[in-house]
Amino acid sequence: MTAADPTELYTTDVVAVGSLVADFVQSGVLVLFGEQAPEELHEFSVLHRPRVQVAGPAVGDVVVLGDVRLPVLAVGDVVAANLLQLGHLDLKADGRDVPTMPGDVCVPEGSLPAVQVGQTIRILRPAPMPAPERTTP
Amino acid sequence: MTEYRSVTVTKGRGGWGGPLTITPTDDRPLIYSVTGGGIHPVAARIAELTGGEPFDGFRSSAPFDRIAVAVIDCGGTARIGVYPMKKVLTVDVHSTSPAGPLANFITEKLFVSGVGLDDVVAL
Repeated sequence: MTAADPTELYTTDVVAVGSLVADFVQSGVLVLFGEQAPEELHEFSVLHRPRVQVAGPAVGDVVVLGDVRLPVLAVGDVVAANLLQLGHLDLKADGRDVPTMPGDVCVPEGSLPAVQVGQTIRILRPAPMPAPERTTP
Repeated sequence: MTEYRSVTVTKGRGGWGGPLTITPTDDRPLIYSVTGGGIHPVAARIAELTGGEPFDGFRSSAPFDRIAVAVIDCGGTARIGVYPMKKVLTVDVHSTSPAGPLANFITEKLFVSGVGLDDVVAL
């Protein structure tokens, strides 16, 4: 028996990467905005065009950036609204299990990869483990 | 010529910074809402009390030197610093304090957070 596929909560294609994104990633922060974001936010943002917008992430979900899979460790209170309304996400590679700021999605330290135009970013919810089959004695 | 009035915006519960006095002018008439779901009620309130012009930053863009105040619903990383960096008065409806890569630009004279409708008062 194969494990059930994960649920796709959010899928989006990267359309632009701002000139300061690499600096932000260096300091452990990756900022996403939908491509309609005002120009003053472009410099430090990954701009993207969503294809699937079901829900924001929860602890235990996985953020997939290209080939890199980041486990979600903590999620602030305003994350889901920001993501679904504005395409906005703040990934913080701080390894915390309690978010510092209400917009933070915390992932392991040092885990953020470089992001390129054309890449797909996904948020996946792993399928629950199937209940173990009962064996008759 | 439009007659503009002033409001004071104080920090709400758990908020930081301010109080800010906001007075739109003919050069800077815009109450610039960079928030999800259109013009935020706090921005609408500031506009109503001051006579400033509500403006949705996610629908069209405006130059910084036209903005009387930016109203944001920032979770603490990005928008929190962008407008202070450009010396634009900034009101965050969430209870954030200076953080993120742009934290150095965020001062009590430029920024106030945790702001609800009751924290906007006509002068």
